[in-house]
Amino acid sequence: MEIQSCVSILNEWDIVAARQLGRNVAKELGFGTVDQARITTAISELARNIYLYAGEGQLCIDRLNENGKAGLRIIALDKGPGIPDIRKVMEDGFSTSGGLGAGLPGVRRLMDDFNIDSNPGEGTDIRATKWLR
Amino acid sequence: MYNKITAHIEDHREELERLWKEQLTSDTDARIIDIMPEHIFESTSSEFFDIILLNLKDKDREYKEKLQSFSDKVVRLGWPVALVVKGLREFVHTVQENLVQYGSIDKEREGDYLELLDKWMTPISNEIIQTYAETWEKTVSLQKMALQELSAPLIPVMEQISVMPLVGTIDTERARLVMENLLDGVVSHRSEVVLIDITGVPVVDTMVAHHIIQAAEAVHLVGAKCMLVGIRPEIAQTIVNLGIDLDKFITTSTMKKGVELALEMTGRKIVELEG
Amino acid sequence: MRIPILKLNDCLLISIQWELDDQTALEFQEDLLKRIHETNARGVVIDITSIDFIDSFIAKVLGDVINMSRLMGAKVVITGIQPAVAITLIELGIRLDDVMTALDLEKGLEKLQQELGD
Repeated sequence: MEIQSCVSILNEWDIVAARQLGRNVAKELGFGTVDQARITTAISELARNIYLYAGEGQLCIDRLNENGKAGLRIIALDKGPGIPDIRKVMEDGFSTSGGLGAGLPGVRRLMDDFNIDSNPGEGTDIRATKWLR
Repeated sequence: MYNKITAHIEDHREELERLWKEQLTSDTDARIIDIMPEHIFESTSSEFFDIILLNLKDKDREYKEKLQSFSDKVVRLGWPVALVVKGLREFVHTVQENLVQYGSIDKEREGDYLELLDKWMTPISNEIIQTYAETWEKTVSLQKMALQELSAPLIPVMEQISVMPLVGTIDTERARLVMENLLDGVVSHRSEVVLIDITGVPVVDTMVAHHIIQAAEAVHLVGAKCMLVGIRPEIAQTIVNLGIDLDKFITTSTMKKGVELALEMTGRKIVELEG
Repeated sequence: MRIPILKLNDCLLISIQWELDDQTALEFQEDLLKRIHETNARGVVIDITSIDFIDSFIAKVLGDVINMSRLMGAKVVITGIQPAVAITLIELGIRLDDVMTALDLEKGLEKLQQELGD
């Protein structure tokens, strides 16, 4: 059973919208304050990546219910330039934007499951899930 | 066919029971039987035998109640599930052999009898295994809750100073809980210094150290200071040998020193009253 | 909407009351540096009690503004970081090691007075 809500990421304000959506869904599902902060932060990182690197894309929030376990999945999709070396972007401190380089490895630490799919020239598909304990 | 079996079992009940028990004790891991007092094993296995018989005789209601209370009983007595399953299998075996031995059944129809006996046994073993599984699940979840309860209390010992004693192994799950309790406690008690006591942590490996370092960094972020106390000699050794860097930390060997230091950091000290 | 910056003696007080978007964060950085220049402030307290999350971008803006302020001769104390925010920052891998922190505005000001030596 999945219910999906999406936000198109076109400008900086959409990052805020995506965060708000995620925070509301997390609250609704009954995540605690710490997990809410983790989820909101992860969404912010992923949405900003779309805005910075792909220019436009979509950020979706799935409500999951698998084998009686509830969870929230963030899906970040874009048709941007893609990531040539995934291993490299998953290293702490690697940054092409002059940021802190905490983005993707940070998101992986904040969430329970993390999966990234990317082909140069085709775009990027990142999925990150947090389960309700 | 069915009547033949029950009649045979009833006629040879004592012999069968004896054979069955022999089989059970001879093959089973001696340790399992050893830890059980003999009379308990005797009476329980007789009861077990009765249950199986009742099932065969198809006294439905009585049987169901008895089976329920029996499964509860074996679980409570701590019969290993392997022994129970084995008991059921051996029963089929013993009866089958006995039937053949007395010539109560024809050789060529042996397979049919075996199948019939097996069919009778299945609900019994299902019920018992079910009871075991339920009991285990309940125990596990209770223990998990109990573990969480004793996990990580933050104790405000005096104004601006709190203590969090850690006892037992720190895994990722507990580390999260420790971190949350620590930070919530520091903020709600408005503590300036918080002492994490690791006297009761048996092993400090890189993973545990990592969690503790993270906790200390988070404490710094919310605006307090973190001190690590209760570092035993062997813990100091492993920390240095593993190359874990705790330089940024204030660490002391005992809680006493830690409290004194914490008082100093908050601009106070203990003085003796002049009598 | 710009974040108000208050002056108290030789300190500047900022209380961030709502969720920071990127634009506001960058404007805040500019405004604060301008105010430090105008007022010759020696200390700054930024209270973020109401902020319920900080991502790497906002963390970077905050870290930068602290370093920039330091260059201009003003010490910065961040106060009121919520437990949930602290945990996410640590998990993100962001360390604000050399940043001064305090539990709340009051303690932040106290710390600043101590640091400034008066």
